Amino acid sequence: MVSESVSGGNETEESLISIMKRLGLFAAILLAGFSQPIVAQEREMIIPMPQSAYSQAVKVKGGTLLFLSGVGPADEKGVLAAPGDFRGQVRATWDNMRRVMAKAGGSLDDIVTMTVYTTERRWGEIFTDMRKDVFKTGYPSSAFVEARKLRTPGAFLEIQAIAVLKE
Amino acid sequence: MKTVVVFSFLLLNFTGITFAQELKKEFVDPMPQDSRSTAVKVKGGTMLFLAGHTASQPAPDADLGNFDAQFKATFDKIKNTLAKAGATVDDIVSMSVFVTDLRYVPQFNKLTKELFKKGYPAVTFVEVSHLARPQSLIEIQPIAVIP
Repeated sequence: MVSESVSGGNETEESLISIMKRLGLFAAILLAGFSQPIVAQEREMIIPMPQSAYSQAVKVKGGTLLFLSGVGPADEKGVLAAPGDFRGQVRATWDNMRRVMAKAGGSLDDIVTMTVYTTERRWGEIFTDMRKDVFKTGYPSSAFVEARKLRTPGAFLEIQAIAVLKE
Repeated sequence: MKTVVVFSFLLLNFTGITFAQELKKEFVDPMPQDSRSTAVKVKGGTMLFLAGHTASQPAPDADLGNFDAQFKATFDKIKNTLAKAGATVDDIVSMSVFVTDLRYVPQFNKLTKELFKKGYPAVTFVEVSHLARPQSLIEIQPIAVIP
C-alpha cells in the first residue's frame, strides 16, 4: 500500500522492490551457507568416569581432525626423561603432548580419544590420578593397554591420541 | 542484470558449501628420517577406518619369519582394502603398528619411505608379545581420509 501511494503504481519500481526482497532472501541463504563452517563445535562427553579421568565415549560434530603419532617421555632428540621414574615420565609425556598440540594449533583439551600403551600396567592408577589435572573441560575416551616394549628404550608409557581442533 | 547478481550470489553460496567439504590436509612437524609425521591435521573428506591388517590371510604361511615378505603382503592387503573404498596409500593419515620385535622398526621405516609420495602419516609403534596368529610379525591398523 505504501509503495503504491509513493510510486503511483509504477510497475518497474514494484518489481525492483520484489527483487530487493528476493536479494534479501538470497543474502540470508548466503549467510546461512557461509556460517556453516564457522558454527561452534559440538562436543558431549558420554558417561564420564571422573575417578579414572576418562569418558566412556566422546560425541563430537564439526572441527578439524588431528591424528597424532605416539607421544612418549623422550625429548625431541629421543633422549628419555626421568629414567626409572614413572611419575616423571607421565609428566614429561604430557609436556610433550602439550607441545605437539600447540604446534598443531590446539591444546590438550582438544583430545577426544587416546590409547595409552604402558609397560607397567600395575601403575595404571598413578597414571589415571595424574590425568585428572591434565584436562579442564572434560575427559577424552581412553584405552589402557600393556605393551611389551615401547620405541624409546626405558619408556614406561606412550600415548596415541586423536584430537578435534575447534576451527 | 539483477538476475545475474542474484545468480552469482547463489553460485557463491554453493561454492561456499563445496569448500567446506573439500579436504584440507597438513602434515605437522614431519620427521622424514623416521618416515612419519608428528601429527596429521585434516578437515573435510571421507573417513575410512581399517581393521588391523596382517600377512596371515589369505597369504600362505610361507612368509614365516620373513619381515620384508610380511610387510609387502600386509601392504598389498591394505592397498586392496583401500582400493575397494576408492582410496590409495597416500590417503592414510595414521597407522598403529604392532610388531613382535621393535628391532623391525628401522626396516619398516625404510620400506614405508618408498610407499608414501605425498607426505608421511602419524605412526605409533608398539611391541606386543603376540599377534592373532603365531607366525605374524606385524599388524598394521590404518586410518585414511579420502578427498
